Amino acid sequence: MSFFGFDTNLPRDRQQGGPSRGFFENPDPFAEVARAQAQDDDDGIDFEDTYDGLGDQLDDDQDVFNDDTFGGADAGPGSGGQVGRDFDFFGTTAKVADVIGEEQVRYALQNPSAAPMPAQEQANASAAMPTATTNTPSTKRTGYEKYSDPDFIPDLQAKSSVWGISQKKPEPAQPMSRRPMMSLEEVEAQMRQRSQPGHMMHPQSSMSQHPGDPSYHPPSQFPQGVPEGFPAIPPEYLRAAIEKGVLPPGMPGLPPGIAELHGAPVMSGPRPMRGPQSQMPPQVIPQQGPRNVGPTQGQQGQHVQQMPPPPSRGPNGGLPVITNPQQIMHLTEEQRNAYLVEDAKRAKRNHKIFLLSRGNGLMTPQDKNFITRIQLQQLVAAAGNVADADAEAVLAEDFYYQVYSQIRGAPRQHPHQPLGHFAQTYLLQTGNRLGGHGNRRAFQSADNHMQRMQQQVQRAVEAAKAKPKNKQLIIEGSLGKISFSNAKAPKPMLNIKRPDSSEGPRPKKVQSDLSLSDRKSILTNIESVYSALMAMEDMERTMPPPPEEGDAEAIQAHMEWRQKVHLLNQKLWRALKVMEPIVPNSTTPHPFIAFLSYPKGKKAIPRIFRHIDQEQRVTILTMIVVHLDSLDVVRLAQPVPGEAQPSLAVRESIDLFSLAVMPSLLGYVNEAPFNIIIGLLGLIIAQTHVQTVARTKVGLGILTMLLSRAEIVKEAGQASERDWQQWVEKFNVLFDTLEPALADIFPGAINTGDDMYVWQFLAAVGIGASPEQQQRLVIAVKDRVMETVGYSKTLPADMASQRLGNVNLFMRAIGLDVELLG
Amino acid sequence: MLFFSFFKTLTNQVVTIELKNDIRIRGILKSVDQYLNIKLDDIEVLDLDKYPHLSSVKSMFIRGSVVRYVMLPRSEVDVGLLEDATRREAANQVGKAR
Repeated sequence: MSFFGFDTNLPRDRQQGGPSRGFFENPDPFAEVARAQAQDDDDGIDFEDTYDGLGDQLDDDQDVFNDDTFGGADAGPGSGGQVGRDFDFFGTTAKVADVIGEEQVRYALQNPSAAPMPAQEQANASAAMPTATTNTPSTKRTGYEKYSDPDFIPDLQAKSSVWGISQKKPEPAQPMSRRPMMSLEEVEAQMRQRSQPGHMMHPQSSMSQHPGDPSYHPPSQFPQGVPEGFPAIPPEYLRAAIEKGVLPPGMPGLPPGIAELHGAPVMSGPRPMRGPQSQMPPQVIPQQGPRNVGPTQGQQGQHVQQMPPPPSRGPNGGLPVITNPQQIMHLTEEQRNAYLVEDAKRAKRNHKIFLLSRGNGLMTPQDKNFITRIQLQQLVAAAGNVADADAEAVLAEDFYYQVYSQIRGAPRQHPHQPLGHFAQTYLLQTGNRLGGHGNRRAFQSADNHMQRMQQQVQRAVEAAKAKPKNKQLIIEGSLGKISFSNAKAPKPMLNIKRPDSSEGPRPKKVQSDLSLSDRKSILTNIESVYSALMAMEDMERTMPPPPEEGDAEAIQAHMEWRQKVHLLNQKLWRALKVMEPIVPNSTTPHPFIAFLSYPKGKKAIPRIFRHIDQEQRVTILTMIVVHLDSLDVVRLAQPVPGEAQPSLAVRESIDLFSLAVMPSLLGYVNEAPFNIIIGLLGLIIAQTHVQTVARTKVGLGILTMLLSRAEIVKEAGQASERDWQQWVEKFNVLFDTLEPALADIFPGAINTGDDMYVWQFLAAVGIGASPEQQQRLVIAVKDRVMETVGYSKTLPADMASQRLGNVNLFMRAIGLDVELLG
Repeated sequence: MLFFSFFKTLTNQVVTIELKNDIRIRGILKSVDQYLNIKLDDIEVLDLDKYPHLSSVKSMFIRGSVVRYVMLPRSEVDVGLLEDATRREAANQVGKAR
């Protein structure tokens, strides 16, 4: 019955339909349908109800009525007996299955009050039944017709019974009388139905309507047809609910009419029915739609005066009002509400989609990109001129990567890198790109649009980053601070007040004053030097272009820049502490010397020398020379008896000094005026233990540096006679001081380490020495020369030539050659 | 951002990553993000016999928080520059803190 869509009827039918249908039993077909429907929906309930009625009535009637009917059948033609057998068989099975299911359904769903009512009615009807059944044999024929008809009739009657509660009794009474007759007929009908299962449903529906009354066929069908025709239950329910409220007054009038209708058809219906049966099935289907409108309205007009618009409801609504308790009302309302809400939602959504879809396809992707770019530009503009600060910001955030890739050309080192990396690199270096990267240019132009987009997004992001500089927001009245956080600056869990700068550093300074050269303060000094250095390097990078004449603004900018550089230079100079007073015989080394004793300090020297003037350079050189023998690389490098060479750490620091500091010093010395060289030599002689200094690589290196510079000056004829005299005096003193130690200046035994720097020093001495001094020099180092020559013969060719070359450096300085020793 | 900046320079270098669960993975560093999540290619798991389930893995994405160590090619690190970058980072942090 789901076909018909009798959702509304079913629940109502269930309650009251049971008894009414019981009169017109349709055991098999309905039973099957009812089962299926019970699982599905209300439609099934109708059939179940019919079954219920059958079962109940059968049970009640079995004792007397069955016998009578069978007897009557016996009295009639043999066909009746056959039918009876089939009927028994079928009926028993139907009873068992249907009754059980029906009872369960009843108890669960139906109102307790509703169930008893039909039972009583049935009982009454059953009493009348026998008379009707026994009345005429013709009833059998009619019964056949009724069979097909009655199957559907029960629906009609159920409805009618619902409407006309008060008159139900008369209605059921007649159907009841049919019942036994119907049961026989039903058997045949079942047979037919079985043979034509597919047609069953339609014919039934038509049949049920027709049996009600041939004359009323249209109206009778409508009630069923209407519900079937209208799958949309909700509106019906709504109307039914409305009707319920309204109907009660009108109800009484309706039932009589219905009762008459039903009653009349029952009596006369059977005969005419047969003709219709065959016709009905086709009719029902096409007619349902149109009939619903016209006839239903007519019925409604009759039945429900107030409910003309919902024809189908007329019947449906009437049923619930009579039979169904308020539960049904609520259910229907809920369902209807839900349905309405759903429908409204859907309609709204569709409308929205429609509105939105109006502009579909108006813009091309290019248009969209263009607008996106405009938006991004505005975003960037709103965030301030980020592009200007870009380079600085990127450098601050990404210093290592930026500089590293500039130094090593990191991205371009790997041509196999995917294109994406280029783009990424480009993005990361927005605006900071160095010129001359042809490759990148090509990529840029190739994907120019996307590049620009990415660039702008990057800027926008940067701007967004830069914006919330105030990391905390204190709203008046709030109990705490609202802090913003992001991946780079996570929300601080602790908010500790920093001491004012005036309070904090003070104690530190006192401490550093007390111990200028303890480890911590030295490291602090080094760091301050570095920070000053970096500031200066930043200044160097931001140097404005050299001003052109007449450009006052540029000149002004340049002047300001120079001023800043000068200030930074002063800061650096102070941080170096070169000018700290020299405390003779102090146990703590001079701050600058201490500075140089750390690798970090040594490494800073080349960078420092780039940013200081000549005067400052000579000052540094002087400081180093004066403290030569307290320099760690000299003091710790003294050969220890029993050990071939200094410890690894010392050797490393010596190497570092030679690599980092010496070139800077040499660079200055090579340009230094002669008098400074003379002065420095004098300082070495006066302030340091020359013999000690000479036994170290660094010491010898500095001496070599000075001596060779003097020789170059002399060769170039730049030295005045007086200066030269001064120099010779100092040299003589130096030579006399060194002569006894000449044999000890070599590092360890002949087979250890590199002694080239010694030969270099000896060569420098030999060039500047007088012939007599040269002779003494040769005598002093003769053993070492011979040893080296002999040793080199045991070495591989390349190493031998290297060692001999070193010796030859000295030999040639004094006009000799290793070959002569051959 | 210092470490992010630093690791970016090591892309396409072979690095060895030790996870906090002691698994050590050597592979080509493909990319790094600000959380120091790491993408490795052509990976090779050291002590593979202890982690056979990784034997068929060719590349992986490592969440930064599970990394214990990253072992770098020494030649690819500019120590002096890194020192300066560290100083800058420290200066930036100080500046931000105030």
